[in-house]
Amino acid sequence: MTRRQALAWMTAAATLPLGCRASDDGRTVIRVANWGGAGDDSDYFKMVRSLYDRYSDHDPTSRVRVELVPGSQEYVSKLLLDHIAGAMPDVVTIDASSAAVFIDNGLLADLTPFAESDPTFDLDGFFPNVVDIARRGKGLFAVPIDFTPMVLYCNARHFREAGVPLPEGKWSHAEFLEKAKALTTADRFGFEFANWMPGWVTFLWNHGADVLSPDGARASGFLDSEKSIEAIGFVADLVSKHKVSPSLSQTAAAGVDYFATGRASMKVVGHWFLVGLAASQEVDLEDVVVVELPTELDRSETVMYEAGLGIGGSCKHPQKAWEFIKYWTGHGVQSKYNTSGIAVSARKDVEEAKLADKTLSPRAVERNRAFQRIVPSARPPWGSRVEGYDRVEDNCQKAMDAVLKNGVPVKEAFAKAARDIDLEFSRR
Amino acid sequence: MRRSRSAWAFVAPAALHLLVFAVVPIVYAFVVSLFDWRILKGTMPFVGFGKYQEVLQDPPFWNAMLNSAKFAALSVPAGMAVALLVAMPLASQLKGMGLFRTLYYIPAISSMVAVSMLWIYMFLPGNGLINATTSLFGVKSVDFLNETGWAMPALAFMSVWTGLGPRMIIYVAGLLGVPPSLYEAAELDGAGAWSRFWNVTWPMLAPTNVFVLVTGTITAFQLFTPVYMMTKGGPLDSTDVVGYHVFVEAWKKFHVSTASAQSFLLLVVVGSVALVQYRMMRRQLEGYSAG
Repeated sequence: MTRRQALAWMTAAATLPLGCRASDDGRTVIRVANWGGAGDDSDYFKMVRSLYDRYSDHDPTSRVRVELVPGSQEYVSKLLLDHIAGAMPDVVTIDASSAAVFIDNGLLADLTPFAESDPTFDLDGFFPNVVDIARRGKGLFAVPIDFTPMVLYCNARHFREAGVPLPEGKWSHAEFLEKAKALTTADRFGFEFANWMPGWVTFLWNHGADVLSPDGARASGFLDSEKSIEAIGFVADLVSKHKVSPSLSQTAAAGVDYFATGRASMKVVGHWFLVGLAASQEVDLEDVVVVELPTELDRSETVMYEAGLGIGGSCKHPQKAWEFIKYWTGHGVQSKYNTSGIAVSARKDVEEAKLADKTLSPRAVERNRAFQRIVPSARPPWGSRVEGYDRVEDNCQKAMDAVLKNGVPVKEAFAKAARDIDLEFSRR
Repeated sequence: MRRSRSAWAFVAPAALHLLVFAVVPIVYAFVVSLFDWRILKGTMPFVGFGKYQEVLQDPPFWNAMLNSAKFAALSVPAGMAVALLVAMPLASQLKGMGLFRTLYYIPAISSMVAVSMLWIYMFLPGNGLINATTSLFGVKSVDFLNETGWAMPALAFMSVWTGLGPRMIIYVAGLLGVPPSLYEAAELDGAGAWSRFWNVTWPMLAPTNVFVLVTGTITAFQLFTPVYMMTKGGPLDSTDVVGYHVFVEAWKKFHVSTASAQSFLLLVVVGSVALVQYRMMRRQLEGYSAG
């Protein structure tokens, strides 16, 4: 090979990537960020993909390019890096539990001008407290898609067999423990404790305690308060003292969900759990009942995890992005999307239609009603207001691990967690 | 003059690569460590060595440094011993040794993400390969990646396997470099197998040992992918090694300046450890040279 030939080869190799640019068909490309893995071929994902693909039928001058990021934490990091690089997608799916970092750093456009000037869009059609999650004053930074409150699932068959009445309306932690004990047998646990903070933080709330101060500025005085320690101690005792829940090592060794396999009678989790339960061989969905979380307060409190769509602050064609948001949060798409059963629709009309659906079993309608009854009292997660709340969850999770795995006293573990959280907050 | 130009032409691509992808980012990272860069807020006040002071007084960072040292202490000597053990038969001139060398090298060319996924399944409690095997002998199932006492040894165990190929190849080269005449002389003196190893092979492998020890330690302090994939620094920070800690600081908390300062402190610590190791083994190297 001559020197000239070598140079030609090297030049060709170096310029090859420049030839990989997508062809331009004249349509506006709307970049939409969402969670997901490249290899996801679940029915849910196929349905979502088809809804994205159909957008070109709705607006022939645009096409959607979906940018999927697997993992909720990786999703946040990826989008923040996109923002730093000036390459934020046009439409961004925002999870309420990490919304603060996007809204409070000006990464999202205010949608109020679009919502107010668009006669085809009606914000009143959405559940108001779900909409409020992405509000800051008069500004609106995301239109909600769907949400799920954390609820208590009960296996009615287990209750019947044990002669234990199902909880109705408001009930206390003491009643919860009593039922869990009565439901626990040699081969079945009364409750399945999930070592995951969203699964137990509501026990604090329902004991009149909280993780952070009302302004979200500090954990000391709150996470380590007497009431919090009592509530966390109650949760830890379910596993280690009363043994009404499998231990962490039993859960890990089993490698399966205790409730979904009929080996636990109660579990705190969100709406998405129903999707997996529908496929369970051991649990009949007709036996699954949804009830409010037990509480020491006047009214049961729970958290509301929500997903919404916002427009990236540096979006080049915000009107096109708004049109896509309208399409995705509209009645047509949401009616179809909500059939996945993954969450409760943020649209009141979609939920009303679900209740009127004659094809659903009475038990399914009852569950839908139970979810809707909980909506007005559900609180937004701290992460929708406090930037870096994922670090709070990490510290609390470590503290719970220290209690359940290493036998560290609750007070000691959570006092340390409160100090660590305050230290992290001071460095923000 | 012409030869010099040709030499520069050959060196230029590698030098340019090093400059653009190593020297410039290192200098840039040092500059960043002198500021308090809030990348989401767009502010960047100069703080001098303030970030270094902050990191020096940060217990979680030193916990991460200690975890890295533990990982190095567990994985490097064990990795060297296993690699040498495997290299000795493979350094022989028997037929088929090339195939075995290739087989042992495969983990090193596999994606670390894929390897980590594989080991997650191996370490699973209950039905994981290791627990399923040990349960045949009545051993109680262990949740290797979720128990504080087991997670780090599990990562070190995996690292011995993944690092086996490169270390083994280096040892094979070292062993093939030992003059056969030395073994013949030792044999004539009546030396047995252990005596030949201890008095001939081991001293002659001194430069190889120094190289494997120093590079192994540096690599151990750079551990990231298995921790990211398998433990996320847990349980209870027991596998929060410094590479992962810096990543979390930079890309989860977005404390870029703090992460840069931590990286430079890591550079100093690893450089010092490597220097101490080199000096400790220099005497052995001098003996090798004299021999």
